[in-house]
Amino acid sequence: MKLIDCDVHAQPTEPMLVEYLGPAVRRSLERYGRRTPRITEWYPRVRNAGMRVDAWPGKPGHIWGSDPETTRAQLLDEFGVDFAVLEVLSGQDCYDDADFAADWNFAINQWQLERWLEFDERFLGTIAVPHEYPDLAVAEIERRAADPRFVAVLMPSSAMEPLGSRKYWPIYEAATAHGRPIAFHTGGYADYRGAGRPSFYLEYHVSNGIVMQSQLAGMVAGGMFKAIPGVRAVMTECGVAWAAALRWALDSAWELMRDDMPALERRPSEYLRDHVWFTTQPIEEPADAEHLVYAISQAQLEDRLLFATDYPHWDFDSPTQALPRALPPDLRRAILCENALALYELPRQPAATA
Amino acid sequence: MDRIDCDVHVAPESYRTLYPYLSDYWRDYVEEAGVRLNGLALAYPPGAPTSGGLPPSSYEELRRRVLEPAAPRYAVLNCLTAFETHRSAYFAAAVASAVNDWLREEFLSRDERLRASLVVSGLSTEDAVAEIERVGDDHGFVQVLLPARGDLPRGNKTAHALFAAACERSLQVGLHAWGRPGNAPTPSGFTTSYLEDYVGNQQVAQAQLLSFVTEGVFNRFPGLKVLLIECGFAWLPPLLWRLDKDWRGVWREVPWVDRPPSEYVREHFRATTAPAHLPKDEPGAVTQLLEMLGDAGSLLTYSSDYPHEHGDGLATLLDQLGEDDRAAVLAGNAAALYQLS
Repeated sequence: MKLIDCDVHAQPTEPMLVEYLGPAVRRSLERYGRRTPRITEWYPRVRNAGMRVDAWPGKPGHIWGSDPETTRAQLLDEFGVDFAVLEVLSGQDCYDDADFAADWNFAINQWQLERWLEFDERFLGTIAVPHEYPDLAVAEIERRAADPRFVAVLMPSSAMEPLGSRKYWPIYEAATAHGRPIAFHTGGYADYRGAGRPSFYLEYHVSNGIVMQSQLAGMVAGGMFKAIPGVRAVMTECGVAWAAALRWALDSAWELMRDDMPALERRPSEYLRDHVWFTTQPIEEPADAEHLVYAISQAQLEDRLLFATDYPHWDFDSPTQALPRALPPDLRRAILCENALALYELPRQPAATA
Repeated sequence: MDRIDCDVHVAPESYRTLYPYLSDYWRDYVEEAGVRLNGLALAYPPGAPTSGGLPPSSYEELRRRVLEPAAPRYAVLNCLTAFETHRSAYFAAAVASAVNDWLREEFLSRDERLRASLVVSGLSTEDAVAEIERVGDDHGFVQVLLPARGDLPRGNKTAHALFAAACERSLQVGLHAWGRPGNAPTPSGFTTSYLEDYVGNQQVAQAQLLSFVTEGVFNRFPGLKVLLIECGFAWLPPLLWRLDKDWRGVWREVPWVDRPPSEYVREHFRATTAPAHLPKDEPGAVTQLLEMLGDAGSLLTYSSDYPHEHGDGLATLLDQLGEDDRAAVLAGNAAALYQLS
């Protein structure tokens, strides 16, 4: 067991999901479509639509990420990936009504299960949920909880309310009760408001880390980590190296105004340390790679970093090249494998060879 | 030690103070609607430990509270009174003019050590340009003050005429924490605590920095410098690592950005020392941070941020700087930025 990839994108086309939808949602989709623009319409990706050039399977009806055979060949077999955690993002920006959202996310999970998890045991699933309707999200978590192949619950990085809001706590409580971490994956709504909406994909993409900083500040300040003691948050595809500066800012601010935050009994950095994991891709690349080692140790992330490729996106981090040589061997092994084994409580031997 | 203080706050107590500089129409508007200056109190609740009470509202008060005890070589005044919630561009332009006239008469005309940020409407580039043309040649104004929070990122093309007007007069841009209290202060929505609002300025500043670089502001205005005021700076190294990496992948979208973004940032951005949110009880981490920043000695400019309180980060920072860097941070960098002697 050497390599676990904690962020791989399986991407259903709309017709692939339709077969799992109920008649009412199917009709609504036929008549009105998804209604709201996708993130690629806000911020077009100017080369190959933001995908690896070789990721299009060349099979009728398929697109990048829709064909498990292609992903198996290009990712699992090519790099010797022991487990790949799938994150299907089709429900991330679901502005739709409750019935639609519930059906849509059920379809995502059913497609994931039947086409991917049953296709190759190395694929692991993440439970997509209708996050704006926490009771329905909890029902979907409970529907999938008995299946150990679903190793986490998926949330977007931007929702209708900040993710630390009590509105979403039932989702986190259900995930935690069923032993699942919550993967907060870059994406969701693009309602940027602090600085105003940016102009370019480059800004949007770098901002993925900035959004997560705000979300973590809200989770800490709102008391979520204290209220749900075992909750584990996996910040996915948002960078890593900014975690230290966020800790310093939150701790400094907390010291100044802790009287006003009686619910926070410990320094904000202690909650972050106990409850937050990060996937690596797109890992920051300082000119001096030693600075990345600094950043990891400043934020105490040695046992909190999970390797990810983000296959099949354009900024795929190669398992053989993305991590700088400056990383000590123990840390490299922890990032590539050990930390994910512990977090997801995975078997140390794959079933096929056990 | 010789100091130039890049962020000292002053504010009129109420609109009444600005009445001499407002037309009859706007005085009636304020009276009839019962409009109050609330923006400042939303950013700095007077009772909050970080606010330090109300800023000086007259020259006498400023002299007594700041100039005499601290004796800076120069102090740059920032008046955040125009960081308001209302949406009327017409009212915003009138208030900006009134604030600038008040700053000139109450402060700048009385003390050669004082400089100020020129305030402009955040709702109309046309009005901002007119205001820069009206008062921007006064040597007391050294930069145009823009709130970090706004409707559109500050580097947006619709604002470029403002930078042109500023550059013609050798004015820099000061991007100050806070602004537009009615907008959600984060990229993830509305907050539920002051702690989030306070720390959130650092996230907003990061997004603003991206905007200036990607929109090509410094390609069009090579003389322009942007001072990040009260926005922190420890977040800068990882942001630049990520920005340079992404730029190498998607530069085609912004072909005018023709060298690594971090180079533009090092050349055109400065940041004030407050708040210096540094690691506590970890001197090794502070040393690492300074190494990661590359050249803290030319990036940072001293600010007391009077009357605001941000803890003891400044002392930690100055302790770790060499003698030359300390002198540059305390005065030299600001002198160069604003061409002060």
